Amino acid sequence: MNSAANSSARRATKTKQAVLWTLLTVYGLLTLYPLFWLFLSSFKSTQDFFNRPFGLPEAWKFENFSNAWESSNIGQAFGNSLITTLGALAITLFISLLAAFILARFRFRFKGAILAFFVVGMLVPIHSTLVPLFIMMKEISMLNTYWALIFPYTAFALPTAIFVLTAYLATIPKDLEEAAFMDGSGLWGIFFRIMIPISLPALSTVVILSFLHSWNDFSFALVLITSTGLKTLPLAIANFADGYQTDYGLTLAAMTIAVIPTIVMYMIFQEQVMKGMTAGAVKG
Amino acid sequence: MKALSSRKFILMGLLPATLIYALFVFVPVIWSSYYGFFDWSGIGEAHYIGFDNYVEIFRDPIFWTALNNNIIFVLASVFGQIPIALIVAILVQKDGRLTRFLRTAVFMPMVLSTVVIGMIWQYIYHPQIGILNFLLQALGLESWQRVWLSEDYGIFSLIPPLIWSFVGLYLIIFIAALQNIPGEIHDAANLDGATGARKLWSVTLPMIKGTIIVAVVLCISGSLKSFDLVYIMTRGGPAHATELLATYMYNSTFSSYRYGFGSAISTTIVLISLVLIGISQWIMSLKSKSKT
Repeated sequence: MNSAANSSARRATKTKQAVLWTLLTVYGLLTLYPLFWLFLSSFKSTQDFFNRPFGLPEAWKFENFSNAWESSNIGQAFGNSLITTLGALAITLFISLLAAFILARFRFRFKGAILAFFVVGMLVPIHSTLVPLFIMMKEISMLNTYWALIFPYTAFALPTAIFVLTAYLATIPKDLEEAAFMDGSGLWGIFFRIMIPISLPALSTVVILSFLHSWNDFSFALVLITSTGLKTLPLAIANFADGYQTDYGLTLAAMTIAVIPTIVMYMIFQEQVMKGMTAGAVKG
Repeated sequence: MKALSSRKFILMGLLPATLIYALFVFVPVIWSSYYGFFDWSGIGEAHYIGFDNYVEIFRDPIFWTALNNNIIFVLASVFGQIPIALIVAILVQKDGRLTRFLRTAVFMPMVLSTVVIGMIWQYIYHPQIGILNFLLQALGLESWQRVWLSEDYGIFSLIPPLIWSFVGLYLIIFIAALQNIPGEIHDAANLDGATGARKLWSVTLPMIKGTIIVAVVLCISGSLKSFDLVYIMTRGGPAHATELLATYMYNSTFSSYRYGFGSAISTTIVLISLVLIGISQWIMSLKSKSKT
């Protein structure tokens, strides 16, 4: 009896669904377009760049990448980014897990004060430390060293790392380390043999956050590094664009080189990256 | 004996993190509040000048332009990112292929270097070779073409890249919140005959109100962190039209070696962000009041 009404209603919902899907797909594609344009244009000659702004390259210039890597310090900058990022990452992981172990597992008088200290620091806007850090590092001759970046990267990664790890350790029963303690393991032994392996899932969040922050940092590098040999990728690319302004394919290839590591990481660990970054943002 | 050794362990374990954090986050802020009272070029003697740097800042029209632009960024984030993220999240909340594609796509800019983002958008806006003006030409809308990063339009042209970069964060936060609404609530709403817009307004949105407020607070506190994007795209120009507090600080310190003045601006930024955090806390307290 009402099957006709039903089917027309169903058809209406179907049309609505189709319109919705189309709109959302268009939105997703538009979002990706700037990145797609970057990848495509990085294979173009300057000629193609002007003549075919939306099209495929007439001739694919793979040598844009090797030229960018070799002739213009991008390879060196990649190495510098790797050293400072991994340096900060290693220090952050070790000292934040150590601090989290103590904050989650021991009872002592100034625990609340120490936690509060890290919370208050999260409110400090990064850029307000640039000028004083520059002055400070100038005084102690730390400007233009890897440490000039490793220390600030570590310092600003610490609060989120400590909170993520402390919260994680608080969920794990204490029996394990108590048994180890009875067996005569020292506290350092417990830390290395039990805490590190147990914390691996939470440590992966810390790795992702710390890696992305350090790898993508521009402002610390801009202020604290001036010598060409020490420039990190974002800084080198910003300068690259000033120097090679007319060779667009080359500049875009350099930009592509800089984003590939984070995109690969994102593609492999997508869920962890999203979870980590939203947790980091909400807590930070 | 045991108590003693664990006390030593606690101290040694907390020392590295606390020390690095204090030295590279706290000490700089305290130093800059001190140097803010000096006239100092980095070399030679620093001269104590009291509040002169602060007087100069508040008399400087560029400072007010920068503050105004920061406020435009806050409003654009709150009224741009949050509605877009919320609408998309509501439309795609069920898991599926389209949802996964959209989440992946919209979140992607979050992992990219801001330098690269800024440069891509610089090319998009470029007056002669930019793809935006090309596109307008192709569509026969030549009259809409303009110099996008100019004195008149610059600050508004910076808003789409700003929204594009961060909207993914809020989308993920909202999708998580929507998926956390218990199934029974949807069932109850359906039994009561609440569907479509009615259910959205009287069931779904109130359930994620807390998350929306957190997102607004994040937008506000994130606004003062904008530096890279604007520095790369415009350097705060042309004629200081797109200056933000952070670029104003950078430009006045490092282009003219005025470290005392720059320190005073840094301290001002800390104070302004404390005020913003106070406002956020107040919004949060309203949220907890409305809950009870």
